[in-house]
Amino acid sequence: MKAVAPATVVFLCAGLAPLVVRDAFLLDSLVLVLIWGSAAAAWNVAGGYAGQISLGHSAFFGIGAYAAALIVTRWELSPWLGLAVGALVATAIGLVVGYLSNRLRGPYFVLATIAFSQVLLIVGSRWRGFTAGSEGIPVPFRPGFWTLGIADKRVWVWIALALAVLAYLVQRYLDRSRRGYQLVAVREDEDAALSLGVPARWLKVAAICVSAALTAACGALWAQYIGFVDPFYVFSVDLSVKFALAAIIGGLGTALGPFLGAALITTVETYLRAQFGGLGTGLIGIYLIVYGCALIVMVRWVPHGLVGWIGEGLRRRAAPAAR
Amino acid sequence: MSLLSVSGVSKRFGGIVANRGISFDVEPGELVGIIGPNGAGKSTLFEVITGFYRPDEGEVRLDGARLTGLSPDVVCRRGIARTFQKLRPFQGLTVLDNVMVGALTRTTDVRHARERARELVGKVGLAEKAEAHARTLSTGQRKRLELARGLATEPRVLLLDEVTGGVDQRTIPELVRLVRSLHAGGLTLLVIEHNMRVITAVAQRIVALHLGEVIADGPPDQVTRDRRVVEAYLGLAYVP
Ligand SMILES: Nc1ncnc2c1ncn2[C@@H]1O[C@H](COP(=O)(O)OP(=O)(O)O)[C@@H](O)[C@H]1O
Ligand SMILES: [Mg+2]
Repeated sequence: MKAVAPATVVFLCAGLAPLVVRDAFLLDSLVLVLIWGSAAAAWNVAGGYAGQISLGHSAFFGIGAYAAALIVTRWELSPWLGLAVGALVATAIGLVVGYLSNRLRGPYFVLATIAFSQVLLIVGSRWRGFTAGSEGIPVPFRPGFWTLGIADKRVWVWIALALAVLAYLVQRYLDRSRRGYQLVAVREDEDAALSLGVPARWLKVAAICVSAALTAACGALWAQYIGFVDPFYVFSVDLSVKFALAAIIGGLGTALGPFLGAALITTVETYLRAQFGGLGTGLIGIYLIVYGCALIVMVRWVPHGLVGWIGEGLRRRAAPAAR
Repeated sequence: MSLLSVSGVSKRFGGIVANRGISFDVEPGELVGIIGPNGAGKSTLFEVITGFYRPDEGEVRLDGARLTGLSPDVVCRRGIARTFQKLRPFQGLTVLDNVMVGALTRTTDVRHARERARELVGKVGLAEKAEAHARTLSTGQRKRLELARGLATEPRVLLLDEVTGGVDQRTIPELVRLVRSLHAGGLTLLVIEHNMRVITAVAQRIVALHLGEVIADGPPDQVTRDRRVVEAYLGLAYVP
């Protein structure tokens, strides 16, 4: 129960914010934090809990974004259907990728995931007949909930919050369930886990599938929110790094961590955009430098992420008071 | 019928023959020791039995059912647990959580698994360390932890790779007592052990390996007197 209380507060605040906050910029930031937080949480299911460190998760994000955008533009169906299709396709691809990379460990797995996302980038940017190629897809705005044509950012906060809570609950399930314990055992030592009867191979695949489906859902909502799908963005390594980094900064394998990490990263990015926005494409480079430095700092000085760091601080404060 | 039966197992690594036509049986309730010099192929045999290695020839059966070809997790669920010579506790988890992972192989109920784990942690004498992280344990404590973890999977046969290896001399008697009490409780054990005093004291039967082959198989007093065993392993200085 201890770990639930802070999350309840965080999500409650996010849910109530639209009732108080009127500022469009703040609401926009909140929507993005919730979407990036959900994507980081989705990444955390595979990377944090199962130890399957991927730097190719933008592949699943892009699949979700494209599924939603294509279903709307090509077939004029609901983006909600697109979200479901994107999640299904991502699951299927997660199954294949998870199966093929099952025996790869450490850096080999990471490299395989990067390669995979870059293959999808090529498909997305070259298959002009289907994806509109490198021009990307503008998503038409058709007012209504069913069509996700929602101008009111407050509603978007609640939609993104629903996604965030779902991603959070998936992680909480892993915190307390049998499968979660087994997955963590696989992360700690796969052979030892196998020797204790843990079906490590299919658990890893299952974790990747769940992670992929959630990531695709994030991509689908994001595409509808932003209104444009650019293959070079949605399939980029930057985006994959961002998901991973948010989870690592927040606290690997913790349920709330990815959301805290995403809040921090989104804030820093917004600041950088305000400061260096004039540099245009040069901005990408700055993000990567900042990401890289942040990663070094976290791994070196805050190995358990913000959640571990804050928890430690609270404990230190509570200890003398208890005496 | 034998509970565990190893027949004609061979395992090669390139030019090295780590196991060569190894055959022996383990009866229910037996405690069988495996001895042999370093590199004799003892650990490799364990890897073959537990499904981590696939033998080039031969097969392993548990209660008549073939284990060879099954993956290690399935072998465990069939009823074989093991400890590793190079200990591999889940470093970042507490002692209790380590053991829970084993218990969760037999129950889907997390609370039940926790109770069961607590019982076993007590049984191996780690009750005070239950909430400590595995990485903070001494070698002796880690051995107990691996034992408890293996026991939690409710094995029909427990394989121990070097029970007392690398352990502080003073804690050896406790470990021996623990193994004995498990055996007395009806568990079937296959134990690799270098300390001859320990193995002759606990084993009902000893299988001696040398260069991947079985060179002797019988009661401890007979095996320790075997000319080939003395030459290959014990050395002439050994007096039982
Ligand atoms: N994975 C491996 N790859 C190559 N050679 C191995 C491997 N495992 C064991 N060996 C070799 O097989 C032989 C038997 O090793 P091992 O079974 O560990 O012996 P023991 O446990 O009896 O000391 C040794 O010569 C060892 O070098
Ligand atoms: Mg060995």
